[in-house]
Amino acid sequence: MTERTIAVDYVARVEGEGALRVRIEGGRAQEVELRIFEPPRFFEAMLRGRDYAEAPDITARICGICPVAYQMSACHALERALGIRVDGPLRALRRLLYCGEWIESHALHIYLLHAPDFLGYPDAVRLAKDRPKVVADGLALKKAGNALMQLLGGREVHPINVRVGGFYRVPSRDELAARIPELEEAFALAESTARFAASLPFPDVTEEYEFVALRHPDEYPMNEGDLVSSRGLRIPQERFDEEFEEVQVPYSHALQARRRGGGSYLVGPMARYSLNHDRLPPRTRSLAEEVGLEATVVNPHRSILVRAIEVAFACEEALRIIRGYSVPPTPFVAPPASIPEARGAAVTEAPRGILYHRYEIAAGGLLRDAKIVPPTSQNQARIEVDLRHLIDADLARPDAELVSACERAIRNHDPCISCATHFLRLEVDRG
Amino acid sequence: MHEEALLRDLRSQLVMLAAREHASRISRAEIWVGALSHVQEAQLRSAWPRLVAGTPAVGAVLDVRTSAAADDPQAQAVILRSISVEGP
Repeated sequence: MTERTIAVDYVARVEGEGALRVRIEGGRAQEVELRIFEPPRFFEAMLRGRDYAEAPDITARICGICPVAYQMSACHALERALGIRVDGPLRALRRLLYCGEWIESHALHIYLLHAPDFLGYPDAVRLAKDRPKVVADGLALKKAGNALMQLLGGREVHPINVRVGGFYRVPSRDELAARIPELEEAFALAESTARFAASLPFPDVTEEYEFVALRHPDEYPMNEGDLVSSRGLRIPQERFDEEFEEVQVPYSHALQARRRGGGSYLVGPMARYSLNHDRLPPRTRSLAEEVGLEATVVNPHRSILVRAIEVAFACEEALRIIRGYSVPPTPFVAPPASIPEARGAAVTEAPRGILYHRYEIAAGGLLRDAKIVPPTSQNQARIEVDLRHLIDADLARPDAELVSACERAIRNHDPCISCATHFLRLEVDRG
Repeated sequence: MHEEALLRDLRSQLVMLAAREHASRISRAEIWVGALSHVQEAQLRSAWPRLVAGTPAVGAVLDVRTSAAADDPQAQAVILRSISVEGP
C-alpha cells in the first residue's frame, strides 16, 4: 500500500441553501416544503441599541443587489417617527437612486438568471458562448443602473451617501445631465429587452394570486403610497402589522409572511404592475401595449416581461427626474435637535416587492426595537403554492426533470436564493 | 448553519478527491482556517467524525492550521490544503 500527499488548496464554499421536500399520495402533492437553510442573520437584534442614524447603512448590508431598498425603507420609517418631511429635489433624487437599483437588479435577473431558463441553457455563462449579444445587452443595462447608484450613492454596492433626511452630498445639474445619453441608450435597450422577452416561449400556466403592492395617487410606486391588494385591501403603510404577520414554519429558517386570518400573497413586479399599470408614463405604457403585456399578469413565467417593462419605466423616470432637477438648498433635512421617544414604520417597493421596516426609538436616539419584513419571505408561502400546482400537473416526470421545473418556478419570483443556479435538493416521497 | 454548509462542501470535496485519485482511503487531511471564517478549530474537530462518516476519510488524521491574520486575503476562507491518500 502506498501513501501519497496531494496538494489541493480548495476553498470551501457555501452555495445557495435550499431544499424542496415533496410528499406525494393519492396522485397529488400532499406536502410541499421549501426549506431555506441560510443561517439567521439577526439584523433586527443587531440594530437594538444602535443610533437610529446608523440604520440605513446597517440594513443596506442585508442585500448586495437591493441595498437601496433597505436604505429607503429605513429612512422613511425613521423620518415618519421623527416628523421629518423630505420633498422637492431630495425626494426626486431618492426616486432616481431607486431607478438605478431597479435597472441593475432587474437586468441581472432577466438576462443572467431567467432568460437561460427559456432558451434551454443551464446558466448565463453557457448562454453567453452561443448568444453573446443577449448577455452583453443585459450587462450594458446593468451598467447604466450601476452608474446611477455610483453617482447618487457613492458606490454601486452598499451605497454610503444616504442618510435620514436625504443625502450627505447631492449631485450638480451637470453631473446628472452627463448621464442622459447613457440612459437614453438604456431605454432603447430596455425596449429591445421587452421585445426579446415577449418572444420567449412561455409555458401555459395560470395562477390565482392575491397581489399586494403600494399604490400612489399619481406615480408608479417606489417610495410612497397606500398598501393595496387585488382582493380589495387598501390601508396606510403604517398598518402593515395589523394586516400581515410573519410565522415560523418548522422546516425552514426563513420566516414566512401571510395575511392575518388569510393565506399567502404575492409581492414584486407582477403585483406592482398588475395593480399600477395605469400609472406607467407614456413611453413605457406604449411599449407594454406593443409587446402585448396584459393588464393583469397571472402567468408567473411572464414575470420576465414585466421586469423588462419596469426597466423601461425606470429609465424613462430617471430621464424625467434628471431633466427637471434643480439642486436642493441643503443635501438633507436636519433631524430634531433633541430626539424624542418615537415609533415609525414604512414600506417601499424593492425590486422584488414591498419591504417593510418598523423602528422604535428611545429618547436620545438609540433604537429600542426593529422589525424588517423583506419581499422574499413574503413570497415564500406563495411560491410553495406555485410549486404544489406544478408538481400536481407534472407528477409523472422523473425527479431530475422535476427539479429543473421547480427551480424555474422559483426563479419566476426572483427570490434572493435564486442566485445559485443549481440550488435545489429535491426529496420526493412518492408514498 | 454557515459552518455546517462549509463542512458539507468539504465532505463533497473529500469524496470527489478520493474517487479521482482511486484512493482506498484518505489517511490525513490538512485544513487551513482563516481568522475571519467564523469556523473554530474545536468546532471543526468535533464535527469531523460525523463529517467523514461513510466516506473514504473515516479515521483520517485531521491537521488543522488556524490563522490569526485578519488581513490575510483568504481570512474569510476555510481551505482544504492537502490530503494524504492510500491506494494504487
